[in-house]
Amino acid sequence: MEFGIFLEDAAQALATGILVGGAYALMCVGLGIIFGSMRVINFAQGDFMMLGMYATYYLATSALVGVFGLYAGPAVAALLSGPILFAFGWLLHKTMISRVTGARVADMDGGGGYAQLILTLGIGLVLQNGGLILFGSTPIAVLTPLSRQSWEVGTVLLNQARVVAFVAAIGIAALVNLFLTYSRIGRGLRAAADNPVAATYMGVDVTKAHRIAFSLGVAVTAVAGGLLASSQSFQPYIGIDFVIVMYAGVVLGGLGSIMGAFWGGLTIGLVQQLSTLFLPYQLQNTTIFLVFLLIIFFWPQGMFGRVSERT
Amino acid sequence: MKLHTVLLAGAALATGLILSRAEPAWAQQKDVKAALIAPLSGPWARQGELVRSGAETAIEEINEKGGIKALGGAKMQLVIADAGDTTEKAKNAAQRLLSQEPELIGGAGAWLSSFTMAITEVTERAQLPWLTLSYSDQLTDRGFHYIFQLSPTASRQSELTLPTVVDFAEKATGKRPKTVGMISDNTAGAASFAKWVREGGAEKNGLKLVVDEVFTPPLADATALIQRVRSTRPDFLLVIPSNVPDNKLLFEKMNEFRLGKGVVPVVGNSGSLGAPELLKTVGKDLLEGLIVSVGTWSMKGQEEIVARYKKRTNEPWMTQDSLMGYAEMWILKEAVERAGTADRVKVAEEIRKMDLKDGPAALSLPGGIKFDEKGRRVDAPLVLIQWQDGEPKSIAPADRANTKANWPKK
Repeated sequence: MEFGIFLEDAAQALATGILVGGAYALMCVGLGIIFGSMRVINFAQGDFMMLGMYATYYLATSALVGVFGLYAGPAVAALLSGPILFAFGWLLHKTMISRVTGARVADMDGGGGYAQLILTLGIGLVLQNGGLILFGSTPIAVLTPLSRQSWEVGTVLLNQARVVAFVAAIGIAALVNLFLTYSRIGRGLRAAADNPVAATYMGVDVTKAHRIAFSLGVAVTAVAGGLLASSQSFQPYIGIDFVIVMYAGVVLGGLGSIMGAFWGGLTIGLVQQLSTLFLPYQLQNTTIFLVFLLIIFFWPQGMFGRVSERT
Repeated sequence: MKLHTVLLAGAALATGLILSRAEPAWAQQKDVKAALIAPLSGPWARQGELVRSGAETAIEEINEKGGIKALGGAKMQLVIADAGDTTEKAKNAAQRLLSQEPELIGGAGAWLSSFTMAITEVTERAQLPWLTLSYSDQLTDRGFHYIFQLSPTASRQSELTLPTVVDFAEKATGKRPKTVGMISDNTAGAASFAKWVREGGAEKNGLKLVVDEVFTPPLADATALIQRVRSTRPDFLLVIPSNVPDNKLLFEKMNEFRLGKGVVPVVGNSGSLGAPELLKTVGKDLLEGLIVSVGTWSMKGQEEIVARYKKRTNEPWMTQDSLMGYAEMWILKEAVERAGTADRVKVAEEIRKMDLKDGPAALSLPGGIKFDEKGRRVDAPLVLIQWQDGEPKSIAPADRANTKANWPKK
């Protein structure tokens, strides 16, 4: 390959990696909040993302959001899917997740980990197959001209839908970070995550903190899915493709660290796109696993994780 | 002998007599069961759904018209199994189906060549005649006796497609294309098509292969793939994917990189490139002019079949998948008629001997129904469709095509 062409390809891959990585980062933040504060290995996170995509689709095609037009409408719909999935997460935690988390499972085998794994896997299966019954198997997408247009920066073309998703993702991740760092509820969440017993003594309602964390994590991932729903067509099984990306990102960033999850997700996007410059395209997703394995071997605490929390 | 033993023996005898006397009433013909294994969950569920709706249309029609006459009007029944989203699940579905339904006379499936490879390992051992629309050459290169491939094989399709489209281009533009790019996924059918092009097919047609990229579905983003096309600018591009979400990413990226709408004409190979939902997710303008080679498509002579199907399903047109599902059931029906029995080995023999030139099955597949010793359909012609004005219309074979090819002149 000529050097000029290679440079052009590299610049394009870098730009795309950052843009794709932005949406991944937000997804990872969602999963990171849940894992970081509750230590729940949640295999249904991809399916919550799928629900976010469908919520965005139905909102975007509704008369309410229709007034925002084809350009702003999809982004507004994606943001609105957040509260809906927040409520869903709240309900799910209240009725199911809380039974296998928190103080009541401390004495269980593996600290309740097995029960959590089976429950979230089960919820995932129910959501996938329920989705198939409810939404059907036909792939759909949120239609916007943005997904097929680009802005030109030199020779690099930036997909407009991806840029919008990237900017929104950064904004939401920053807001979530501010909320967790400075708000009273956020501080309570972090206290409950660090030491649930001490937090209880200090008057923090740990179960409620967990409920908020879980719902917030579901909502954030759903919004990330909603932002992707205009570039990517989807069907009820799309979550499986993304749950691996999410876990790789969270592990790369450092288990338990929410900002780590963000940078981890972004890095995964970059690795996925930049790998195409050197390796055959079909190994694109294999490189994610490779990075995943390398981290576990050489850097088990990840980028922002504490040494005590190894993968 | 004690009295109660005698009474019991008497009762048993009486019951036996009653049962045997009742037999003629019970001996109404049992349903003849045909299997369909298709992906009904997972990312290929929509394609499976299309096959299923075609097969169900056929079964309904067969039973309406009096069932299987050779078996006293026995009704035909469709037994459906979900191939899921992995070859492992597809194979398990086949094993389960065979153990639960010992009376199957034959079956069809499972859309994706990789799945069909897996399930036919099971059906072959059970000597169950198996019809498939899948493209991969490997399916009928393994020396199996009970598999029947209805589409032209992928390499045959690529062998026929390339010279045909080069001619289209030359006639329309006055210039013969010199370079070609190729983007394919790594499923078995796409791999067979791409292999032929890569290993001398392009060269044979005077074409230089300037882009040759293979990806693993599903795609996360198509930028790097289309970037290669952008930097090399082939005279036309071959696209061989297997699902609508990947198609959307590819076509939107082409447009974004100013290569769409015929700037670099696209020729594809995959039933998914003619799916109604592609129109909804990508839009009419980006698909205009796209030429696709497929196993079969709606064409002249099928008006009644298509009308019945559309009425039943509300789909806007009948795709390869539905037509194949429809034809498969009619072929099995015809074979049972000829065999005069629901014995699967005899049914397979009849399929091997079959030479259908008319009737619903032959109408669905241009070229008639006759198989060679490998199980491939003899004289299966190249079927090409082109998106024109928001609908994929058949443009080849010429005698049955609905319209003429229209090569983009940009």
